[in-house]
Amino acid sequence: MEPLTTIDFNQYVIVRLPSKNYKIVELKPNTSISLGKFGAFEVNDIIGYPFGLTFEIYYDNEESTDVGKTDSKPKNKIPIGKVRLLSEEVKDESNDKDDSPSEPPLSTKEKSISVELSNINSSATNQNLVNMGSKAQELTIGEIEKMKQESLSSKEIIDKIIKSHKSFHNKTVYSQEKYLNRKKQKFAKYFTVEYLSSSNLLQFLIDKGDIQRILDMSQESMGMLLNLGNIQPNGNYLCMDETGGLLVYFLMERMFGGDNESKSKGKVVVIHENEHANLDLLKFANYSEKFIKEHVHTISLLDFFEPPTLEEIQERFTPLPKEEARALKGGKKNSYYRRLRWYNTQLQVMELTGKFLYDGLVVATTLHLPTVVPKLAEKVHGSRPIVCYGQFKETLLELAHTLYSDLRFLAPSILEVRCRPYQSIRGKLHPLMTMKGGGGYLMWCHKVIPAPEPTSEVTAEVESSGATIGEHDAKKQKV
Amino acid sequence: MTARCFSDYKDLIEEGDLTLIWVSRDNIKPVRMQSEETFNTRYGSFPHKDIIGKPYGSQIAIRTKGSNKFAFIHVLQPTPELWTLSLPHRTQIVYTPDSSYIMQKLNCSPHSKVIEAGTGSGSFSHAFARSVGHLFSFEFHHVRYEQALEEFKEHGLIDDNVTITHRDVCQGGFTIEKGDTTSYEFTNDEAAASLNANVVFLDLPAPWDAIPHLDSVIATEEKVGLCCFSPCIEQVDKTLEALEKYGWTDVEMVEIQGRQYESRRQMVRSLDDALERLRDIKRHKLQGVERRKRMFDNTIDTSDEKIEKRNGDGIPLTEKAKFNPFGKGSRIKEGDSNYKWKEVTKVESEIKSHTSYLTFAFKVINKSRDEEQVNEILQSMDKQSKD
Repeated sequence: MEPLTTIDFNQYVIVRLPSKNYKIVELKPNTSISLGKFGAFEVNDIIGYPFGLTFEIYYDNEESTDVGKTDSKPKNKIPIGKVRLLSEEVKDESNDKDDSPSEPPLSTKEKSISVELSNINSSATNQNLVNMGSKAQELTIGEIEKMKQESLSSKEIIDKIIKSHKSFHNKTVYSQEKYLNRKKQKFAKYFTVEYLSSSNLLQFLIDKGDIQRILDMSQESMGMLLNLGNIQPNGNYLCMDETGGLLVYFLMERMFGGDNESKSKGKVVVIHENEHANLDLLKFANYSEKFIKEHVHTISLLDFFEPPTLEEIQERFTPLPKEEARALKGGKKNSYYRRLRWYNTQLQVMELTGKFLYDGLVVATTLHLPTVVPKLAEKVHGSRPIVCYGQFKETLLELAHTLYSDLRFLAPSILEVRCRPYQSIRGKLHPLMTMKGGGGYLMWCHKVIPAPEPTSEVTAEVESSGATIGEHDAKKQKV
Repeated sequence: MTARCFSDYKDLIEEGDLTLIWVSRDNIKPVRMQSEETFNTRYGSFPHKDIIGKPYGSQIAIRTKGSNKFAFIHVLQPTPELWTLSLPHRTQIVYTPDSSYIMQKLNCSPHSKVIEAGTGSGSFSHAFARSVGHLFSFEFHHVRYEQALEEFKEHGLIDDNVTITHRDVCQGGFTIEKGDTTSYEFTNDEAAASLNANVVFLDLPAPWDAIPHLDSVIATEEKVGLCCFSPCIEQVDKTLEALEKYGWTDVEMVEIQGRQYESRRQMVRSLDDALERLRDIKRHKLQGVERRKRMFDNTIDTSDEKIEKRNGDGIPLTEKAKFNPFGKGSRIKEGDSNYKWKEVTKVESEIKSHTSYLTFAFKVINKSRDEEQVNEILQSMDKQSKD
């Protein structure tokens, strides 16, 4: 099976729920996954389908699926249902999350109206609609709960709720749609399985409320960062990532597309400020440990700027000839190979911090940027981009001023990109009434190599006249 | 064969390389390095032979003729984003804030096989080509097709992962067959190219006419993403109709706003300094009044002349106010270290307030699974766990 396009075992996937919430799950064979009030399903039942499909959880009356299952969690009281593909008509308008007041009615009833509403009368206007709050609903909470416990299908529950709504026919068809969608978000038992892309992981973290951890990043800022950074499968990138690996995951997905078999030689070298790098979020990535080890290297700031010398390394350890190493026994052998790994890592640190020049610098850190970026940029090749993500414009502004006065950096710019979502219902297109704020800013520039100092007599003249032209002049006007 | 100047990282500038010469932010010129040529600016000429052999990113300085001044350029290796800033416009182009969002939203990677219609000025084509497995670009305008083909060849894209075809996709769909005007190279027994696209980008006046043709060229076994790029809301409306009719779901429409800021400084001018300056002016004024009074009263004796300056008429001069914390009257350069500054940002004087609406939709053609294969996998797993 093709794990990039098909739901496969032992893979992390993201599940989209009717409430528009996301859940990351691992698909272990012969287990079940609970989605809380939206039901539970067997992993085996969804394996082999392509990503992007929506499944409905249903229960037929021989209700015994959760009895005798050894691997379902003992406390899991949510009955495990069967799944079937959700038919198109039942699917809701995925973007109708607008809470705008009722729209002016259109003269004709639209064709694209939900099947649930097709046999129900509606009103042209809301003239006769009186707000009587919960009194309009004849069903009590207890009755609804009972229906849920009886594992009625969401369609049956919603049908009953609509039938018991006293003034439902006084609503306009649009407001009925909205009501229906709200009920679906509450009672529907379906879920969509998606590939765990970098954007989906970001969306999951935003939903979860981890905004601070991910420095208020947005999908549009990350997309822009990857393009401005000219990220390619074979590039070697220097990176600081304070988001616990999200930025690294964005880089990896763009470079390798989730493909463990990728032959691309690109590398991400992560510079971290603590003793150990925090790349926790990569645990959700479906790359093998081996693949990550080959393509992601971590070096602390201290090791990066003050790398060990060969003598220092060899003072602590020298590898034995292969035959001797193989002849070692038991604990000695283990400790030898542990130390050999350390030795190889040290040699690699030397290599990655030596004369090596990187194809780009990508930074998302809350360290003081004017002190960090120019130092890291020493290891960036000429003509290669430097892109810094910052939650606040002011920190990037300070950086831009610092880089501007340094001839090694060409045209530092501060950029902002925002995505404005629209309601996408025909005849009623308008921007959504609310959207997420934030999304951060980017600083973009290129590393360049200043021309050698002009000869001394000329220098004096240039300085006295202050008449350098070309980019220097343009910089003054523009930046 | 032309070097892949966009997708391979190069160290040194070599003869024959396509470079981007950065004169200023709004003057970036594509220049192919030929040792006998020179690059001319209004500040002076830069011989290519002085550039060739230097590392990419080098600043090249010359002394301008006549005056003893210096002029600089920077020589860069092309990237799609720099190319977008420098390219010859054949049409309205897709800028980086839009193209980068579309690429991210459609999860572009080496795994992606992309259909783009139309090619236009090729701005987005370069960004796609850098990041995806293969790009099939379609252009219906014959001259623009020829120009784009030539350009893609020069940039090494055709030899790499780009196919361009002359086609009105609204009329003729996306299938590439033998005999078509295309850069596609057919193998002997191949009658039509297999596109199998999983990403589609339609930058067309009437995308709804192209949407019905997609089913035969998109991948059937996976989720396919589509983005329509349309400036008018009426186009979006008609697009939505077609998307619904042809089974595209998860429709989302958005607009991207990109902004660029200049980093500037504003002088910090405190109230105390402003007050002190006014006091100073007032003090000098009073002194002047007093002096004049004394002069007209003829109370000034000659010994005063030593300490008081007078003008030609013998009237005592009032000294200029001395307290000048803000450099009033003189031209202060922004950032002058004799003054205190606050760093500020200033948005561009003209911003792109609307580019286009982006309508995204998705489709899975084959929604079934291979039950046999799944059963086999399950059985083999059972076996393994028993063993």
